[in-house]
Amino acid sequence: MVAQRFGGVKPAPQTTEIAKVTAVGSDTLEALDAVPYRRPAILTRFEVTNVATTVPGRLTARAAKVLLAVVALLSGIAIPDAPAQTIDARRLGMGGVITSDMGSASAANIAFRAVPKGRGHHSFPLPLGLIQLASDPPEFDSDSPDFNVFEIADLITNPPLTLSLSRPDPVSSDVRIYVAQDSLSIDLEDLRRIVPESSLRNGGVTHLPGFAVGFRKAFVGISPLVHVQNQLDLEPALRAVLRDAAPFTTRTRYGLADVGVAQGAVALQAGLAFRAFHAPVPGQDKDEEKGDGDPRRSGATALYVGAAPKILYGIAYGDLRGLGGATTGDTLLGSGDPVSLDVAARTRHAIAGGDGGSGHGFGADVGAVLYWRNLEIGVGMNDLASEIDWKVTERMHVYDDSLDEFTTTPLAIDRDFTSRIPVTTTINVARRFGVTTLAATVVDAPLSTSIHLGAEMWMGLLAVRAGTYRDANDAWQVTGGGGVRFGKIGIDLAVASHQRYIEEKRAVELAASLTLY
Amino acid sequence: MRRLMPVVALLAILGTGFAGCGDRSLILTVNILSFLDPTETSAAYSVPGGAPSATADIADRSVNLLQGLNDATDVASATLDFAATLDNVTGTATGTLLFYAVPSDTASLFTSIPIASIPISLTPGTITNVSTRVTSDALAEALVSDQARVGIRLSLDTSATPLGQFVQGTETITQLLATVVTKKKI
Repeated sequence: MVAQRFGGVKPAPQTTEIAKVTAVGSDTLEALDAVPYRRPAILTRFEVTNVATTVPGRLTARAAKVLLAVVALLSGIAIPDAPAQTIDARRLGMGGVITSDMGSASAANIAFRAVPKGRGHHSFPLPLGLIQLASDPPEFDSDSPDFNVFEIADLITNPPLTLSLSRPDPVSSDVRIYVAQDSLSIDLEDLRRIVPESSLRNGGVTHLPGFAVGFRKAFVGISPLVHVQNQLDLEPALRAVLRDAAPFTTRTRYGLADVGVAQGAVALQAGLAFRAFHAPVPGQDKDEEKGDGDPRRSGATALYVGAAPKILYGIAYGDLRGLGGATTGDTLLGSGDPVSLDVAARTRHAIAGGDGGSGHGFGADVGAVLYWRNLEIGVGMNDLASEIDWKVTERMHVYDDSLDEFTTTPLAIDRDFTSRIPVTTTINVARRFGVTTLAATVVDAPLSTSIHLGAEMWMGLLAVRAGTYRDANDAWQVTGGGGVRFGKIGIDLAVASHQRYIEEKRAVELAASLTLY
Repeated sequence: MRRLMPVVALLAILGTGFAGCGDRSLILTVNILSFLDPTETSAAYSVPGGAPSATADIADRSVNLLQGLNDATDVASATLDFAATLDNVTGTATGTLLFYAVPSDTASLFTSIPIASIPISLTPGTITNVSTRVTSDALAEALVSDQARVGIRLSLDTSATPLGQFVQGTETITQLLATVVTKKKI
């Protein structure tokens, strides 16, 4: 097995088998194929389930086009939907539920585009957390005694878009190592909190801000998407050593496995969203008879459906499936070298303008929402059957214990490979009783299923909201808030618990939004 | 285990170096006693009387430690808890129980300055328990190296024992525990 640089090889028109599998060991490949990538009961550090809103609406005049384009741009920037983070204060106050009258949630179900606005609103979250960050930024200088990489990690996993009212103490403590003859243990103390109890999974599908224009029932748009997903599994022995400060023992393998994938694409999308069925309540007003009324509160029966196939232009793809570990010998701390190290990883990649070139694929967003006696039931599926065909370069990287070096073996050039964009399914139910709304939402995302329950009651110009949701870590959180409306403008506030910090301890945040009705 | 050591050291250094606030120390505890053979932790001595300066080297051993620690950390402090029991059967003597520790690449162990020195006084038929706690930069230097060499020496003045008689008994090392507190250097 000879180490090779592979970047200079020109892509062949067809799949080229570079090396026999046996050159790197069929056992290794089988082991890599067996690396778990199942869906565990728990564990997501964070998850991006969607969705940056693109331009909503129907354009009836040039001015409207300009206005909507500006709104779209602003909303795309203002509502980036950070990892599992809801920053629309009205929605957060209601436990993060999704309903058809929440502008920030419209991308969850494409059929929402066809539903009359009614009392719907569009929120512009006020990123109060940025003020807090500016007043008390973390230390980025690693030479400073105040430098704490976990504070920076928290900043990434929990973007400062909401005001942090309370947060767990940062990971901080001594580390203790105990060494004796044939005995070694390490106590990470506070750091044990960041060693996962089971698989460490993170990532998700992010639809970045894009542009869409609508013509009555139809629309076209373009938006980039990024899918990143990783799962790191520690073998029980290694987890015990790190999390439980268990002593290292002889003749034991301390290993880990990692499976990761990252891909980016641009979606060119065209779709239709329309009312497929409408049965007004007899005696309703003229608008309702024509079907222009608000089906959420009119009592009418109406079905709205939408579908938007998309062409996916793949920009880059990469994945890794790896195993690594160290196996102790008959003695610990002996004078010899009884530890054997093993690392093996298989990588695949393709990139536009480089190895393999761009990818090409198709997918679709579909959705439907039914109104019946003021009950709203919606189902939206984004990235349904979304696949991208690539021609990947495949390599095997193996650590040679005897030579103490890595060798890279090309396995194939331009091998046909199809990647998938995981589907995100959103099911929402809402019932409106006059000034009161009760809602529930289930979001089945690539890494987890979250459940949201919420309620809202208007008392004149004031709204009171409460909710709860089960987050990506299966922990239940509590939310509440309120709002005040001044004509077409309103201000909403919400307070919610969450566990997005790396320490996985509960914290409390405050969100604020400016709302246009 | 030698090559697992860099991994362990790296984990520890990353933990202390990046874990912000607090003391953020890497505290290395080495049970030196565990590295000694039973024949070294408990040994009989027999020194003829009338000798103003007699020595017995009880232990001399290399200890494998964490690789890379010295390069990545600054030592803040190091302490040694050293305790022994001397079961003296015959003879009278005074002296010292000495502990040495040097990085393994140091030429001579017993010509270095001892890390700890415990005065002892032996009388016939008595059991004497002695202990001390010392702080030592030299100890720290030895224990953050990849490999250290440690030794124990018993030095006796048997002038109080007549010629032809012996100071005899058994020494047992009961504690030899080093604690080194380091801060990240990287």
